[in-house]
Amino acid sequence: MRTYVPTPEWIVLDWHHACIAAELLCIQRCTGCGRWRHPPRRFCPACQSDQAAFEPVTGSGSVLSFAVSHRSLDPGWQAHAPYATLLVELDEGPRLLAATTTPPGEIRIGQRLAVRTEALSENFVLVWADPASHDEPTSMAPRARGNPHD
Amino acid sequence: MGTDLWGTTAIVGVGETDYVRGSDRHVCDLILDAAMEAITDAGLKPADINGIIPPPGYMSTEEIAAHLGVPDVAYHVSVLMGGASPTASLQTAAMAIAGGLADNVLVCMGWNGYSALRPKPDARPTKRVMNLGPMGETVRNHYAPYGLMSAAQHYSLYLRRYVETFGIPEDAAAAVAIACRNHAQLNSKALMRGAPLSRADYDAAPFIAEPLRKFDCCVETDCATAVVVTSLERARDLVHPAVVYLGGAEGHPEPADEIANRANLLELGIHRAAPRAFARAGVSPHDIDVLEIYDCFTYVVLLQLEALGYAEPGGAPAFVANGNIELGGRFPLNTHGGLLSQGHCWGLNHVVEATRQLRGTADAQVTDAELALVTGYGDLGDGSVAILGRDR
Repeated sequence: MRTYVPTPEWIVLDWHHACIAAELLCIQRCTGCGRWRHPPRRFCPACQSDQAAFEPVTGSGSVLSFAVSHRSLDPGWQAHAPYATLLVELDEGPRLLAATTTPPGEIRIGQRLAVRTEALSENFVLVWADPASHDEPTSMAPRARGNPHD
Repeated sequence: MGTDLWGTTAIVGVGETDYVRGSDRHVCDLILDAAMEAITDAGLKPADINGIIPPPGYMSTEEIAAHLGVPDVAYHVSVLMGGASPTASLQTAAMAIAGGLADNVLVCMGWNGYSALRPKPDARPTKRVMNLGPMGETVRNHYAPYGLMSAAQHYSLYLRRYVETFGIPEDAAAAVAIACRNHAQLNSKALMRGAPLSRADYDAAPFIAEPLRKFDCCVETDCATAVVVTSLERARDLVHPAVVYLGGAEGHPEPADEIANRANLLELGIHRAAPRAFARAGVSPHDIDVLEIYDCFTYVVLLQLEALGYAEPGGAPAFVANGNIELGGRFPLNTHGGLLSQGHCWGLNHVVEATRQLRGTADAQVTDAELALVTGYGDLGDGSVAILGRDR
């Protein structure tokens, strides 16, 4: 099943490389004022510094919103329709999209999430998020419901 | 500059092709047909045109000028705001005219919105594509890998939030879809003329990307449209009653190049454009007689009505209820059928319809229409507004 995996460039590629090297979700942080930001930007919107580093985050966040797709132009995703895509607000502040193994009907705005990454190539990590659980705080298995990249 | 700009230019020519699914014509032929029709409608010749705003992609100014026989292009610019481009182009055309850079400006749009993905077996092939602008990078890098390829999917990220925050009922979205479809029954060129939509049809249709059902989504179409803008002074010597460009504006959310990190997911470009446009035109929302609102998706219409001041946040459902937006209601909306039911020409078809309404020549004519408002929306939430009025 063909599923789209991009080949990022420039500072987006730097972000993916940082996540792959750390085997954790990393987010860009301003060296000047400490502000977290995403997606990667050249200058800090708060202090205009161009000094920044990709640092690991706690991997905790919550559902700000989510899309439930009943159709997809991508055959790999279409095979799993309907599927949810989460808009995650990390506890550090920045927001990003995440794939999820959780069925759409079990997702609620405000739900607490644990985030992890999966390297799909040497240049791209996919972010996964599923409801936080006391039993399994870090290792959510993305294949519980089917991974479009399988 | 402000006092020399607003109300000093006018739309004097309009052109549009048929709105079809599966055209036998090359996309360039569609664009050039609409452009030549607009120039002819104005009573002008190609040699009178000296400013061109081309579509976002497909054809360059240079090609358009050469094929039409425009000998001397004094000004051109490309406006890349997705579906907000054509309506935003009007302010750029007006600036060029008021500033003395051009006399008669051609704004054109056209595409093979249906056939690009589904060419007829005998169709003449094309490699020409739209210019996605900043949206392309974000979708490629950040959305598509998560299974979000289409506009319906991207916008559902904040439409879900809109629906849940305010408890927006499906009744409201259905009212928009059905009003547009009803108006399309009266429009001679509407793709969906002859295909009325009932509430039962709406309810029975499957979801595409929640909360968007099939009939919440506009129709992919092969089509082209064009308008000619000139000074109000020149316009008064031409064939049609001048349709005055009273005021307009563009606006962009922050950040504009992606959705997720906006402080308020529901604050779009039009929230910034709308107050600027009303102030420039010197009118208020309740002065308007006809609304031509960019309707890629029904819920996006609701959000824009709130941004324009027709309802408080979350209040659009009451505004679109009880026939208020139908022909004969207080605020007839998308009297040509809109992108939802006439066809998707990036909203330049809304400008064409507003012009006809103010000339008094629309297929679904609003009695004594004097002021029309057009919006554009696209490129992950950019917005544009144009307020047009009959010459008095």
